[in-house]
Formats: sequence, structure tokens, C-alpha cells
Amino acid sequence: MIQISDLNFSWPGQSKPTLIIDELNIEKGEKLFLHGPSGSGKSTLLSLLAGIQTAQKGSISILNENLAKLNDAKRDKFRADHIGTIFQNFNLLPYLSPLENVMLGCNFSRRRQANLKTQGICARKKACILLEELGLDTSCQNRAVSELSIGQQQRVAAARAFIGQPELIIADEPTSALDADNRDIFINQLFEQAEHYQATIIFVSHDKSLSSLFDRQVSLNGINGASL
Amino acid sequence: MKLMTLAFKSISNRRASVLLTLFTIAISVMLLLSIERVRQEAKQSFSSTISGTDLIVGARTGDIQLLLSSVFRIGHANNGLSWQSYQYIKQQKGVAWSIPISLGDSHRGFSVLGSDGSYFKYYRYGNKQNLAFSQGRPFHNAREVVLGSEVAKQLHYHLGQKIIVAHGMGNTSFHHHDDNPLIVTGILAPTGTPVDKTVHVPLKAIELMHGPKHGSAQIMRKKSNSDAQHDHEHEHEHEHEHEHDKHHEVIDSQLGDLIGQPKQITAFLMGFDSPLYTLQVRRNINIYKPEALSAIMPGVTLRELWGMLDIIEKILLLFSAVVVLISLLGMLTTLLSSLSQRRRELAILRSVGARPRHIFTLMVSEAVLITTIGCAIGVAMFYMAILIGKGILQAHFGISISISMLSNYELVLLSVIMVSGTLMGAIPAVRAYFYSLNDGMSIKV
Repeated sequence: MIQISDLNFSWPGQSKPTLIIDELNIEKGEKLFLHGPSGSGKSTLLSLLAGIQTAQKGSISILNENLAKLNDAKRDKFRADHIGTIFQNFNLLPYLSPLENVMLGCNFSRRRQANLKTQGICARKKACILLEELGLDTSCQNRAVSELSIGQQQRVAAARAFIGQPELIIADEPTSALDADNRDIFINQLFEQAEHYQATIIFVSHDKSLSSLFDRQVSLNGINGASL
Repeated sequence: MKLMTLAFKSISNRRASVLLTLFTIAISVMLLLSIERVRQEAKQSFSSTISGTDLIVGARTGDIQLLLSSVFRIGHANNGLSWQSYQYIKQQKGVAWSIPISLGDSHRGFSVLGSDGSYFKYYRYGNKQNLAFSQGRPFHNAREVVLGSEVAKQLHYHLGQKIIVAHGMGNTSFHHHDDNPLIVTGILAPTGTPVDKTVHVPLKAIELMHGPKHGSAQIMRKKSNSDAQHDHEHEHEHEHEHEHDKHHEVIDSQLGDLIGQPKQITAFLMGFDSPLYTLQVRRNINIYKPEALSAIMPGVTLRELWGMLDIIEKILLLFSAVVVLISLLGMLTTLLSSLSQRRRELAILRSVGARPRHIFTLMVSEAVLITTIGCAIGVAMFYMAILIGKGILQAHFGISISISMLSNYELVLLSVIMVSGTLMGAIPAVRAYFYSLNDGMSIKV
């Protein structure tokens, strides 16, 4: 699924590299817990995986596609097609309804739209189903985003990440604003969806207590040669 | 979801600031369109008021003043010219036709013009069109009257109706001649010129209005008024007293005579067989010994008039253009200031796969939407403004504004605004583009 080898990345204007990873492989369907204190290069790794940044050395392949070999537009397309993202909080566009926010997930990707088509379902219907599976009933779906609780907002963001079946879900501290109960419910729902769609999850957090829920945990400090 | 839909939802989410921006753009568009429409219609209606007339002759005065008083019924001709001079000049070589006109009286706020049959034959306006009758025929004797279309419409006059024409300018006439009713024999077709608002009577009828019987009544009334010294009525009548003294004509003239024996007329219009005669006769008139006269070529004087107004026109246009520019700058400010708050939004869009060019398009679309809606509201307000202003302009300035479709020129103005709005929108769009390139998906607030 994901192969990282001999990765070396430094932000422009910085002499010291931020991230050096010799090797990291992630299997398809794996639920990986990536933890590390702030400043350990988590965000950098995520933007490399999402193809926002490219490494100066080494390679990142996702689905056998070497991101470094793609140009900017193709990387954008690749991200739109294959990666769903959930942020820490404030994930949603305030001027769209929760339903529209979910539909936005496949708005910029032909492939994700096509995936829905082969299932014989339209984006709106699929968004409804996803939201309901994540515990948001119809009354929530068309409300203003600002009226939703943070837990509900994060579920909308999760639905948006999953719509159109991207192979990889990147979650960047999605539970840091949630209380313990909500956090566990959210993570379980995330896993249900991921298993259902056979998606790979990379879950980033500084909260080590979550790590037991995952198939595998990786400490960024442990694998990042730059932090040594 | 199309980017346009996204843009629309995004700006409707920022309703308060966007509405203000829309409003300023709409007002500026309305202002620009209104000023341009009034300017053009004014020019159009001014230049089409008279055509085919080579010379207008009146007592010596400013060229523009003579034009305004004789053709536009604006202001007064202080002096008349003698009937003898008219008779002499119209027999000059090369004169094809001539129309004597006598102004200065009014009927319920509409000016009364005395002339003879040549008026309906030779007077031309617009694209050298003759006057046409929508009903009836020209007057045939001193008891008949022909109405302009607007007069008939506003006063609800019809053919065969007897009306009483008094003298003096203004809405209120002080002397009603119940003994001098005139019969409406014709109503002219609309021309869009001051002719529509004119009551046409034979010269003889003017003379009769100021006849001796009336004169004596004046004197009697004057006596009764002598206690109240120098009130308006008094002054007004006093002015006319002199005229009446001059016009001691007898009423019993034969039927069919349109002219009578006038001593004075206000002005006369002339057409010539060849432009050469025009210049020659004009020169002769300007050095005419018995009386100080002015002869003007209406086309030249119209141009002179517009030449004087040209700088004002340009300043008006400049002002309204600046107002439009300011409103667009206002939009730019709004978009730019909201941009920094929207970096999160841009990052979210990037995370769902929007490319930097999508971000750019989105931002430009917002500007295009705001400008388009602003222009649309502006156009609606413009039509409302001309609907409201139409009557006022017509009544006070004689400018008739047509409620017509937008002209090509106005469409060009609108497109210039749209293009400028789009270009303005490109500025925040470029910034957003670079934000989204640099920030990527990392959310920076």
C-alpha cells in the first residue's frame, strides 16, 4: 500500500532536515497509529503522504505510484482520488450543510464519483447513508454546521473522508477536541467504516493511550532519523 | 457541485459585508447608467427638435438664447421683431419658405404659439419629418386651434372642443376671455419635441386675445387693483398694458384670415433654396438697418450649446466612473480582508482535492458573482430611477427619456464594469492561490 524508503525532507530555507525515514511500509487495510510529540514531524509526514510537499531525496509510493514522479497537478488529482483527510477540528466549510460537506469529498475527484456510480448510488444518497451510519440522523444533515457539536462535526468530516471509497484515510489528531467517551465511539465508527471499505488508516495523535486500539503503532521519534 | 455554486454559497455565508458591497456597486452602476442615459437622451432630443430649418431670426440677442426661446420655449424673448421686417426679409432672394412665430402666452401651463398655415407645411423635426396630424386638420381661421399631442393628452381635450386661450406665461392665467373661445380642429401626432406641449393658434388669434375689448377690461381691473400696490398680478398686468395699447385692432376681421395685422412677432424660421443664400441672407440680416436682428443657423447653435455642455458632460462621466471604481475597490477590500480568515477554508478545499487553480477560480468567481449581481441590481435600480425621474425631467427640462432596452453603449459600459470587477477579483485570487500552494493542507490561522 505505502512504501517509504530513504526519505529525506527539509523545509525550504532550513539546513537541517525535518524528516529522515529509512523505511516504512504500511499494508493495505492496516490501521496504523502514528504518535509523536508536537514538532516531531507528524504534519510534515502527512503533507508528504498527501502530496502537498515532495521530498528532496528518497521516495514515497502509494498504491505503487511514486509521488515524487508526479507533477503538481497529478499529485493533486491523486490526493483527490485516493486519500480522505480528517483534521483536528474545524473540518467543515461553514457555508455548506453537513450533507453538502460530505458530498464535497468526491466533488474534485472523477474516480470517487465513478466509484459511487458503479455502486449505483448518487453522491447525495451516499452522503446520507454515511452520515446515518455514523450516527447523524436526517435532522442533523441539513442544519447549519455551526449548530453541530464538535463530535458531530468530526463525524461529518469522517463521512467526507470515506465517500467514494478512497484507499487511504489520513486522520490528523481528529479526536483531540473530543472527550474520552466520544473519542472511543468516534474511533470505533472510523474502524467500522474502514473495514467496510477496506481502507487503510493512518491515525496521528500525541495521545499514546489510544495506541492499543490499532493494529500497529509507530513512534515517529523512533523512525525519524532527523530527530535523533 | 460546481465551483460557481460553491462561490455563491460562500458569499451568501458572508452576507452582511457582501450585501454592502453589492449595494455600493449597484448604486454606482445605477448612477453611471442614469447619467449616461440622461446625457444621451438630452442630446438626442435637443438635436432632433428642429431640422431642415436654415435660419432662425429674432430680435438681437444671444444665439443660444434665441434658439432656446424660439425652439425650446425656454426663457423669454424679451423683444419681438416688427412684422414689416419679416415681410421684407422673407422676400429676399433664395428664401424657399418662412414661418412666423409669436410666443409669450400660455394655456394652462402650455405655451401658445401663433403662426400661419406655413407652420404645418414647413416645420420639420427629427430626421426632417413634417408635422403629422393624429386627428383633424390645421386651423383655417382665427377661431381655431391645433394642439400638440401632450397638450391634448394631459388636458383631455378632443376635437371640436371649445377652449379659452389666455395670455401670459405660467400656470395661472389672470385673464380668461370667455368671449374668445377657440375650437380644437386638430391634434398633432407625438414628436418628442416641445411641439407636443404647444398650443398652436393663428397669429390673428393672438392679436384678438390682446384686443381692445380686453385692453379696456385690463384698465378697469387695473384701477380696482390700484390699492394693492405692486403685488404680482399688478406688475404682470402692467407689463401687458403697453402691448394692449399697441394693439388697437378691431375684432371684425373676415373669416379665413390667419394673420390679421400683427405689429410684432417673436421670431421666424426660414428655409432656403441653397446654402449660399443662407449665408448671404444671414449677413444681410445681421447688418439690417431698420431693426437690430439676429439670425442663427440652428444646427450650428445646437452644436455650440453642446460644446458648452461638453466639459460638464465629461466631468459627470468622470465622476460616475470614479464612483464605480471606488465601489469595485470596496469589493476588493472586502475580499482581501476576508481572505486571511479563510485560509482554513482553503486548506479544507485543498484536502478534498481542490487544486490551486480551483482555488483561484473560486475566488475569481466570487468577484464575478458580486459584480454581476451588483450590475443586475444596478440596472433594476436604473430602470426604477428613470421611471421615477421621467416625469420630472419631461416637465422641467423637456427631456423625454425612453424606457427602452439597454443600448449597445450601455452594455459596453456594463461589460467594462464586469471586466474590471473580474480583474479586481484576480488580486485576492492570486493571493489565495499562493496561500493554498504554501499552506497546503496544514491549517494556519
